[in-house]
Amino acid sequence: MNSTSKKLRIPVEHTTLANGLRVVASPDRSAPVVTVGVYYQIGFRLEPRGRSGFAHLFEHMMFQGSENAPKMEHIRLINSSGGLLNGTTHYDLTNYFEAVPSNALERVLWLEADRMRALKVDEENLRNQRDVVKEEVRVNVMNQPYGGFPWLDLPPIAFRNWPNAHNFYGDFADLDAATLADVRNFFRTYYAPNNAVLVMVGDLDPAEAFRLAKRYFEDIPMAPPPPRADVSEPAQDSERRGEVPEKLGPLPAIAIGYTMPRRESPDWYAAGIVERVMHGGRAGRVFRKLVLEEQIAVDADGSAELLDTNGPTQMVSRIFHKPEFTSEGTVAVFDEIVEEMQLKGVPSDELEPVKVKFRSDFYSMLEGGMGSYMPRFGLMHYLACFTLFDGDPDRVNTILDGFLEVTPDQAQTFAQKYLVPKNRAVLFRRPVAQPAAAPSMAGGAR
Amino acid sequence: MSSPTPQTQPVRAISAPALAPERPVVWPKRTVRTLANGLQVVLAESRAFPKITAQLYFPGGNAAVALKNPGLAEMTSAVVRTGTASRTSRQIEEDLRRIGAGLGTHAGADSSAISATGLAEFSGELLELIADLARNATFPQEEFERERRQRYEELKIERATPGFLAGERLRRVLFGPHPYAIVAPRLEQVEAYTREQLVDFYKRYYVPADALLIVVGDFSAGAMLEQIEKIFGGWSAPKPEARKSASPPRASGRRVYLVDRPGTVQTQVLTGNLAITRRDPDWYRAVLANSIYGGAFHSRLVMNIREQKGYTYSPRSSLNALREYGYFSVSAAVRNDVAAATLTEIFYEMDRMRSLPVSAEELESARNYLTGVFSLGVATQDGLLGQLSVVYLDRLPEDYLETYRERIHALSADDVLAAARRHFDSANAQIVMVGDRAQIGEQAALFGEVTAFDAQGNVIG
Repeated sequence: MNSTSKKLRIPVEHTTLANGLRVVASPDRSAPVVTVGVYYQIGFRLEPRGRSGFAHLFEHMMFQGSENAPKMEHIRLINSSGGLLNGTTHYDLTNYFEAVPSNALERVLWLEADRMRALKVDEENLRNQRDVVKEEVRVNVMNQPYGGFPWLDLPPIAFRNWPNAHNFYGDFADLDAATLADVRNFFRTYYAPNNAVLVMVGDLDPAEAFRLAKRYFEDIPMAPPPPRADVSEPAQDSERRGEVPEKLGPLPAIAIGYTMPRRESPDWYAAGIVERVMHGGRAGRVFRKLVLEEQIAVDADGSAELLDTNGPTQMVSRIFHKPEFTSEGTVAVFDEIVEEMQLKGVPSDELEPVKVKFRSDFYSMLEGGMGSYMPRFGLMHYLACFTLFDGDPDRVNTILDGFLEVTPDQAQTFAQKYLVPKNRAVLFRRPVAQPAAAPSMAGGAR
Repeated sequence: MSSPTPQTQPVRAISAPALAPERPVVWPKRTVRTLANGLQVVLAESRAFPKITAQLYFPGGNAAVALKNPGLAEMTSAVVRTGTASRTSRQIEEDLRRIGAGLGTHAGADSSAISATGLAEFSGELLELIADLARNATFPQEEFERERRQRYEELKIERATPGFLAGERLRRVLFGPHPYAIVAPRLEQVEAYTREQLVDFYKRYYVPADALLIVVGDFSAGAMLEQIEKIFGGWSAPKPEARKSASPPRASGRRVYLVDRPGTVQTQVLTGNLAITRRDPDWYRAVLANSIYGGAFHSRLVMNIREQKGYTYSPRSSLNALREYGYFSVSAAVRNDVAAATLTEIFYEMDRMRSLPVSAEELESARNYLTGVFSLGVATQDGLLGQLSVVYLDRLPEDYLETYRERIHALSADDVLAAARRHFDSANAQIVMVGDRAQIGEQAALFGEVTAFDAQGNVIG
């Protein structure tokens, strides 16, 4: 770390209520705003078979009414308190969050407690949200160039175990098959206080915030711990490949995913740094080689969801290449990038800048992370992930150390061990319609 | 509240708790200076995270050249980061990474901008890099050709994107001969760009006169100002001449513009009419009316076509303020068989806003929503920079941020009614539908004369 850099210290206090609800508070009085999240440890990985897309459909149902806040009341109360709200469904968690002026903290907690205690929805709500979700899938996937690329396309190719490998947005037939009984059962099984964490960040006094949390949440009955499905993947022994037609976009796209080491294992930190050597915009090796130097691709970047997943996950490179190059040839050039790293490693004059950027990006995520109107979203998100997955929200103050200590040797070893064909999947998204005439800008084919 | 009976059970309120007393929203003190060369500098401290966020705006964007070279400002901004007199493209990217910074270059209708965020400990180096791009960009021929080809391919993707096609068509229809009509070039216009055109745009518009530099972050304003004077002070260039544009047409009656995309599973609906800029005294009233109509989750439009009818996932209405003109728009992506039903509800809700005063409860709720969400912007560097840019780019009064909340709270149901009547012009709304003509053509014809286009913008009957 640079000698002039300040070590950021986030205040973190936490407690557990009698019913098992974990509560985390992080005060920051610089603006009169609080961001509150309730995170349940259930994501699309664990939704029931025959009910693909259910975890996400269920997330919509959580906005449809609870015992004392009927349909629309939840949204009305947050908006009319001057706040914004949303929910998202991930692999291993589902979150509900609000950013409000800090005088609305108690109201937010009342609302979140009301729906944790007693969701109250009917057939009409379910039919309505099933229609809304179908339009969500159409607007984001079916009627969008490269819709669902590669987050929906790649897992079925990369993984073999259904929890990791199915359609997370849901097949329409499965969405249609979902019943109110499924909704109630899912709620009873997974939406219990002992399967959740409440995070409050911003303009608050932790002792007062804990008192309010106790007041509104502590009498919600706990439930038997939910069944933990086996999300492990069988060993992979060769490269996996698949193709998906691209109905709207004109360019061939490729996603290359390498399965990452287990959370918090020693290689996991090297994975986080090497991923940023590969990607991270125009200085990343993938963009530099494929877009700037070889000029095969129009865009190339990638990412890995390391901090907010708790099961098999991949580092994914995404490449959109010019039509005059073959996809096979493009993958071959990508392979040169990986091979060079395996052979020569990552020199420290490249590794150190990557770490500076890593630290900077981490701070940006803590401060914002979901647009400027959800202050401290990233801080809330990481506090929740570190609580649910690692049992220690204060990891937010130490997690960087592990990444910043990665050595060139560790980076090279990681590349040799993990960035190998038998640990990867390659997805080709091929345009179905060919352009009528070869455009004049297209150069010589390779 | 005091109670004669001691409570042994936790209280379970059955109605929502009242709001606690509000803590005042304090906008950080800002330092505003105009340097001798005309560059306006706005600084605000925001010290919770050891970072800075900066944006340098030039008052020349795509509209400045749209009639001759559509998209030229955007193309120029893409190439501006690919080389300076002292740095190659690769050095620029590596320098940014070394100081933990991310940088973007963009052009909108009214301005071109270089924006960056990075660690506070390297703020001097970051500002020097921004200045280097703004003053010394060299537009290497090879980099230009590569970026031009990338733009060409990106444009093909945009022309396959329903939201883009709808927005492009609406702007054409609303703005006619005014340069705001053109949001993107045609493919052959991208092919025809030359390096000399970019250099010319750069020389003319990337100049300090009337430029605006906003920096928000973990610094002390005095020292930051000194640093900025050192880095940007010696820069001078002639001011670009002012441009006079034709006026947009007055719409009379509804018309439908259908962008045909055979076989698609959803219809993108977008309607609009000319409205106002932020400098119009009616702005606050219009913002409030918009938030009740379709600008918030808890708005009438969302309640109606999402929560009651399930036609769509993310309907919304917006007041779009450009520098010279503004427009009001309503969008929804809906399943094909309810395209006409959606338009019916969009206009029904507009007409309801135009005919009947909103209830006291709805009014209060919307005022609280706007003022609360507005002040969320104070909590992040990004949000603060965004709010400040609105004030200084649109040349709003200095106390705009500080007085916004009281201005909104002073509005009445009559104000909302007046704003709806003036700005939700349902009788003359221009209607764009992007979808499969075979499936939605008849529905489209219910709302007015239909003109159909292909995705490239050619009329197809």
